[in-house]
Amino acid sequence: MISGRLIIRLLAFIALVAVIAGLFWTQNAAFLSEGNIRALMRHMSVQGLAALGLTFVIVVRQFDLSFPGVASLGAMTLGWLIASGMPLSVAVCGGLAVGIAFGLVNGVAVARLGLPDIVTTIATGGLAIGFSYFYSNGTSISQNFFMSGILDLNDRKILGLDMPFAILMAAAIVGFVVLHASRFGRGFYATGENRTSARFSGIPTRTLIVAAFAICGMMACLSITLLVASSGAANVTAGNQLLMPAFAAVYLGAALFGRPSVGATLAGTLMMSTMLNGFTLLAIPYYYSDAIVSTVLIAAIALFDPRVSGLFRTLVAKKDKTA
Amino acid sequence: MAGQTGTILAMRGIQKRFGDVNALDDVDFCLGEGEVHALLGVNGAGKSTLIKILSGVYSKDGGTIEIAGKAYDLGSPRAAIEAGVAVVQQHPELVGDLTGAENIFLGHESAKPGLFSRIDRSGIAARAQAMLSRFPIDIDLGRRVADMPAVDREIVAILHALRLENARILILDEPTSTLTEREKASLFSMMKTLKAAGIAIIYITHRLEEVFEIADAFTVFRGGRNVATHTVKEAREKKISIPNLMLDSDKGLTFPPRSQKTDGDIVLEAKNLSAEGLFRNVSFAARKGEILGIFGLVGSGVDELSKALFGVVAPNSGEIHLKGRAVRFRSAAQALQAGIFLVPGDRRSEGLTMDEDVVFNTTLANLGRASLGGILRFGDNRKQAAALAAKVDLQPPKLDRALRGFSGGNQQKVVIAKGLYRQAEVYIFVEPTVGVDIGARSKIYSLMREISRDAAVIVISSDCDEVHGVADRTVALYKGAPIGAPDRATTRDQLLSAGIMGEMTA
Amino acid sequence: MTDITASLSPARQPAKPHRHGGVFTRYGFFLLVIAVFIAFAWLRPTFIAPGNIHGMLMSASIAALMFLGLTWIVAAGEIDVSFMSVAALSNMIVAGLVQSGSGWALATLGGLAAGLVFGLLNAGLVAGLRLPALVITIATGALAASVAAAIGLGTSISLSNTGFVGSILNLRLGVVPLIGVIVGLLYAISWFVQEKLTFGHYIYALEQNRAAVVEAGVPVNRMLFMLYVLSGLVSSLAGVLLAANLSSGQPYLGTSYFLDGLTSVLLGGMALKLGKPNVLGTLAAVIFLIGLLNGAALLGWTDSERQIVRGSLLLIGVGLVVFARSRNRGRAHT
Repeated sequence: MISGRLIIRLLAFIALVAVIAGLFWTQNAAFLSEGNIRALMRHMSVQGLAALGLTFVIVVRQFDLSFPGVASLGAMTLGWLIASGMPLSVAVCGGLAVGIAFGLVNGVAVARLGLPDIVTTIATGGLAIGFSYFYSNGTSISQNFFMSGILDLNDRKILGLDMPFAILMAAAIVGFVVLHASRFGRGFYATGENRTSARFSGIPTRTLIVAAFAICGMMACLSITLLVASSGAANVTAGNQLLMPAFAAVYLGAALFGRPSVGATLAGTLMMSTMLNGFTLLAIPYYYSDAIVSTVLIAAIALFDPRVSGLFRTLVAKKDKTA
Repeated sequence: MAGQTGTILAMRGIQKRFGDVNALDDVDFCLGEGEVHALLGVNGAGKSTLIKILSGVYSKDGGTIEIAGKAYDLGSPRAAIEAGVAVVQQHPELVGDLTGAENIFLGHESAKPGLFSRIDRSGIAARAQAMLSRFPIDIDLGRRVADMPAVDREIVAILHALRLENARILILDEPTSTLTEREKASLFSMMKTLKAAGIAIIYITHRLEEVFEIADAFTVFRGGRNVATHTVKEAREKKISIPNLMLDSDKGLTFPPRSQKTDGDIVLEAKNLSAEGLFRNVSFAARKGEILGIFGLVGSGVDELSKALFGVVAPNSGEIHLKGRAVRFRSAAQALQAGIFLVPGDRRSEGLTMDEDVVFNTTLANLGRASLGGILRFGDNRKQAAALAAKVDLQPPKLDRALRGFSGGNQQKVVIAKGLYRQAEVYIFVEPTVGVDIGARSKIYSLMREISRDAAVIVISSDCDEVHGVADRTVALYKGAPIGAPDRATTRDQLLSAGIMGEMTA
Repeated sequence: MTDITASLSPARQPAKPHRHGGVFTRYGFFLLVIAVFIAFAWLRPTFIAPGNIHGMLMSASIAALMFLGLTWIVAAGEIDVSFMSVAALSNMIVAGLVQSGSGWALATLGGLAAGLVFGLLNAGLVAGLRLPALVITIATGALAASVAAAIGLGTSISLSNTGFVGSILNLRLGVVPLIGVIVGLLYAISWFVQEKLTFGHYIYALEQNRAAVVEAGVPVNRMLFMLYVLSGLVSSLAGVLLAANLSSGQPYLGTSYFLDGLTSVLLGGMALKLGKPNVLGTLAAVIFLIGLLNGAALLGWTDSERQIVRGSLLLIGVGLVVFARSRNRGRAHT
């Protein structure tokens, strides 16, 4: 299961993160303090959960652009349920149910009705944002939050880990088992890489595509639940900040490790969060974060694209010849 | 070339290798001016490689090409076009929403080429009509290509290939595979006009009767070599058997001994199975303990028949019985569940996940067996895959290597391993040895025999010797219809003429 | 649905000669627009008050300008989701430069330069290197949006004067703003390019069968390159106009144009060319959308309801496009 090539990539990745961390540490010694590492892990948790969900959709070679909108709707649903006095577990499940429902709609539209994934999910995402205004006409919800115990999702610790990070780890383990150790994982990859051959092997390809969208929707809502827990309020714009980091994490990871996987996505998330956290420590304002992430993402896609790296190789080869 | 005025094309000593397979080995090929020259050979014989070299898609590893006495390298499609080589692919690339005339002059819509030239629609229509009027054919070039019958599309594709004035050599790759008899006539009359205008035509076909209808000469390819070039006149006079040239029985290929068992249980039975436009009234019974062979050329409906048995193509009428019970599969998953396994003809796009390794592919069709409570049994999967790899003689037996890294024969062995892991009751092999080297072929045949001890095996192929050599009972499909019934006594020559001519001569 | 069944199941029956459907389906969209507008005018007479019409035409002109490049990119089978962020970036650059004392002329040039840079960036990465268009334009869009936010340190910039751009925007012919006439002319030229020149011809051919167009020797990558540059330029021009129109720089104005852009393009694809995005369709759809949202506001609909209308229209647009194509194209493949 673990090949030599994977170990090399893993070592290269660890070295890369170490170099980045080292650079930040020389600029600001607080970077490696316990407090900061905990902050980094918290940041990773929100981004990582959304990215994990997206990983499933990317593995079956589809796109989902709806999850930021769906996450906003999930946040508002969660907030509204808490505000109307529902127990926390019901409220959280309600939020997740929204994500699953939208994911199912996306999946059925794409896999069964044959609609194009990109535009369809943009549309359903827009619809979700529209629905998210229903609960409070767009104002943020925070009634009852203190009483409900949702803040514990952010503040409690489990086995010495902050709750958000523990949730990310639990989700990553479940995700890893599903995608890399279960028969369904085989189906997801087979569907993405060669749908005809997967179908001829008896894999329920359409069902798996629907499932991938449902997982993506659910994970986006789980991620937003943590964000709501940390900010103490549900907001209609809560999901806006998920899109770019999630795509960046999945693609960065896939570029580093050769294909999208749970491990690759976690690695991508870790790298991004490390950089964002470091730049924040260097007092670079928040609005630069997307610029940093997108620059890294474009560079990663371009550098790891086989045609581009092939181009480099031929250029080098030409130089060698002329030299 | 005998009896021709001049030689327009001379290819000598052409070499082409793919990895360790010799696709073309020291091939000579000559074409006379205004000659229609048929290119014959089974799949993988080297015809298409030669054509791709001539049209600049592949670059040759050795040899020389002369066109009209001038040497060319033909390193790119553009170079080939400039040298006067026009190609019509088997499935021509046309834009469905554009008219025939617009497709003919795609890229040449106006007198001065460029992205911002005014399109002269009436000019295009007139030019296209002028081109068409040179031929004794009348089609409506103002129609959308998507609405045209197949033959009109073929004509549009030919005119598109000839839109440049300099074309001297026209390559037609199986143009008749989707045409009806009547449609074929207008294509042939077009070819005759081109011939009269001095354009030489290389004509690839699987239908031998067409050779005598339209060609002046033919060349037969086998195993990457030019095994014979004759004029049609010679062939008629000397009664040369083209099928015998195409198929050679003695190249070190060994078939396992036939089964003596004739009374195995009937596992799969087709009763008057028909699918509109694809095949009709197909009946057979596949028994445990023997191999049933179905011979049919490309386009005869054999591939679709295999998919109908596997639940991918829906038959219009007739029945499939599995162990005596009528079944109707709505998906491949259902067919697999019922115990049918298909080794598809196009293994790269239908049989394998090329970027995954041997273990992944071997276990893919039976994930229930590969997992316990949904969780993969990695150790057991690996053990089973290793055992199956040994059984099918996978070379090299590297379970972690992606399928892309194996030769065609070894890829096919993985598909067979995948089938064995499925433990099916019926195995359908379609074109089992296309692109497979000799050594692996013998191994695959003996594996098929071995599998047939515990299951019914059906082999469907356009290689007559393969079907006759490996199967116990054989039948041919000709243009969608079976010729006779599966029989043990059918000789190779009977099978061949049934599949190629549609009649079983004695 | 899948390759195999699609190529086998529809028996090759002789095709019915319907080239572009009936008159009703081609022009039905325009009838719908007129019907909806009459309904609004009847329910809320202020809908057709000169001031309201002028305002709607102004918004529609700027939006239509922004979506011009997108229309052809989608028509060619590609995607660009960075256009609205490029507009936001140009908008903020103009505001930032004007605020810091540069004149409007310089500011306008700065805004357009940003559009050119991002157009070239997208073009180079997508058309030049053939990297995946969606992910690349998500990233470049995020980059543009991020820089836009950084210019205003995260907030908007209000402007005290709107310079010569504002003067141009204020010119009007009756109820029609001059800019509306200009954009109209631009669309007329684009229609000519799309319908009469090889460029437009290849855009649609490209979407249907890229291989055929490449084989015919058309410089496909150069075409895509031009399309992405065009999209960057028109988006930035719209951003410049918005700076004067809103008297401010709004770093987050992109979000509201994102859905509207794709909705206009896809809904507009239903007009005239049955499922194919085209410039006149986009123009009609922009007017429809602006009118619909404006009328809905007059009727007192909430933001939420209007957002749902947007999302639903986009879904309807996609559904119709797919439906129209599957009917129109069913037999296109051999």
